[in-house]
Amino acid sequence: MSKMPSSQISRAGLVGSTAVKLGVGKLKHKVKRPFLDESSRVVDKEKQYDAEAEILFNAITQLRGTAVKVAQMIGMETELLPERIRTELAKSYHQVPPLNRVLVRKVIQEELGEPPENLFDEFNSVAVAAASLGQVHRAKLHDNRDVAVKVQYPGIHVSIDSDLKLLSKLSAGGIKLIPKHRQPSKDIIETTVEEIGARLREETDYRIEAENTCWFKENLNMQGVHVPIVHADYSSQRVITTQLLEGQHLDIWLDANPSQKIRDRAAQLIYDVFFHSATQLGRVHADPNPGNFLYMENGEIGLIDFGCVKKLSPKFVKNLPALLHAFHLNDYQRIFEAYASLGTTIKSDNQYDYESVLRPFGEWLSRPVREDYFDFKKNKNYTTSGRELIHKMSEMPSLEKVDEDFIFFDRTLYGMFKIFERLEATVYMRGHWEKLWVESDV
Amino acid sequence: MKISGKVKEQTRIRLLEAAVDVITEKGFEKATMRAIAKQADVADATIYNYFSTKEKLLYGYCEYVQQQVMAELKSIEDFHEYSLQEQLHQLVEAELRHWLPAREFLQTVFAQTFAAPTVGHELLADTKVILKTMVLELIDASIEAGEIPEQPYQDLLPTLFWDYQSAILAYWLKDTSDGFANTTKLVDQSTEIIAQLLIGGVIGKTLDMFSFLFRTHVLQHMNSLDMIFQQPEILAAKRRFMEGEA
Repeated sequence: MSKMPSSQISRAGLVGSTAVKLGVGKLKHKVKRPFLDESSRVVDKEKQYDAEAEILFNAITQLRGTAVKVAQMIGMETELLPERIRTELAKSYHQVPPLNRVLVRKVIQEELGEPPENLFDEFNSVAVAAASLGQVHRAKLHDNRDVAVKVQYPGIHVSIDSDLKLLSKLSAGGIKLIPKHRQPSKDIIETTVEEIGARLREETDYRIEAENTCWFKENLNMQGVHVPIVHADYSSQRVITTQLLEGQHLDIWLDANPSQKIRDRAAQLIYDVFFHSATQLGRVHADPNPGNFLYMENGEIGLIDFGCVKKLSPKFVKNLPALLHAFHLNDYQRIFEAYASLGTTIKSDNQYDYESVLRPFGEWLSRPVREDYFDFKKNKNYTTSGRELIHKMSEMPSLEKVDEDFIFFDRTLYGMFKIFERLEATVYMRGHWEKLWVESDV
Repeated sequence: MKISGKVKEQTRIRLLEAAVDVITEKGFEKATMRAIAKQADVADATIYNYFSTKEKLLYGYCEYVQQQVMAELKSIEDFHEYSLQEQLHQLVEAELRHWLPAREFLQTVFAQTFAAPTVGHELLADTKVILKTMVLELIDASIEAGEIPEQPYQDLLPTLFWDYQSAILAYWLKDTSDGFANTTKLVDQSTEIIAQLLIGGVIGKTLDMFSFLFRTHVLQHMNSLDMIFQQPEILAAKRRFMEGEA
């Protein structure tokens, strides 16, 4: 099968089921070595156990959850895991066996009533990409239009529940390996697992994605940004057919060495889309996985895969600029106020938390808007440097409640910045917010 | 009045489908030939020109499904490009698909076959031949293409596949998962194993091993059994028994 988008693993929804199981299997395989003496065998086994527990636990905590502290880490999902495990997981995800022709044919026949050879003029039975819980095939409609047909892995909606049950059982064991002060409560795990389930079940319904795609097609009118048309006649709960957009996935596109100007343009468009949809449209494409953008030769971008769209509450949209502004001004009082207005409670009057946690975090967060243009080539460790800060923030005892919108917003922002780092792009971000600060101050 | 072969075939199919409806609704015991004929809009006596017994209708439908499966495989344009695993997988999936409208009826087929295995065995012969021919052709083509090695005991393989498929159908009848997702998964994974077995020639090798063990050990014991039976006392007893003296 052809190249799969590299950071599929960061797609939270998937970490919960397939990748975790495969990741564990992979590790087991790796440490299986015969002829070890008893003591090294024990050590080996412990190592394996540690690694497994880590994967399982992190898989839970990384996912799109609402649970307070755990969820805070979500923006960092790929960073939380140690490098070695991340590579393992990523590798095993790539090894998810693609659907064979029989199953693709079966799903299409069951969902659309006819086998692909009748529905399409041409149908390429080799998938071009992996996608959320499925894979994508190229095809041609009878009127000669090129389309992308996403086919869901059959039965995945059925296995979610059993996967999750397993996951919560395993995590109950794995949790003991986490240092005491970092152990999340049972409730948090349960809520998180439930949340993962809800998320996944939602993602298995491609009709939601079709709706989201249509909505963005209609409402997001930006020069240079392409949203595909959904072909409703060829779409259902488990199959979605859209216009085939031009453009390439990030890795391939970068291989052709696009100029600085072109890379900047692509990054700027991605940021503009994000800013516009968060502040004007009130919903964001909350899955900032590089595989969800297509890059064109002239730096224009295509948005694909609207499986995870988050509606932000008007309150959040309205109050968010104030927080960033407060961080920008380094104003202690304003920061706490802004957080409170966003539904995130921090027990106030805690100078220590502010100095050791919030302030450094805020400095980090507002760094890209301190300059007119932020250069991700010069600051290529930007996201990594924020990792520990976010971690600390999530562990801050005085942090009592975190608004869900926050998690999605942060996660999206973080994922997007990771893409910018890979693009080594310079992006204009300050001006967008400045306008809002002026408005909110008036 | 002479009727064409085509019309005859249509009537046959109508009768089979009527049998599915009536037997599904009333159960095998209570379904009558008359009710089936009526359902198919065929004269009471005419049905016997096609099927002399209810059992023949029951197993006739199995054969009909098998023919549809074969037709479906033939209709897939690039079927010859499929890997052996995909071909076998497609075969089982087609089987399930064509049984779907008559799933409850299949339950009856299973029940009847268990209740009267000899009749079932006899009447399923034609269905078996169709399946076995298909499987054998797939395997032959695959050997010819160099995808799998020559398979010793090749003639035995289709029989094993028949048993495998019956097991899958039985599993499917008990499958309560949404959209029979569990069966889908089982078929996907098991055809993969079957393909691997064929690629590795494992079935032939295993049979070779058993045959070796049987020849060297079991047959030897049979010799010693022979020796027992050849004992003069036993021979004498046997003679007495045969002559009615005992």
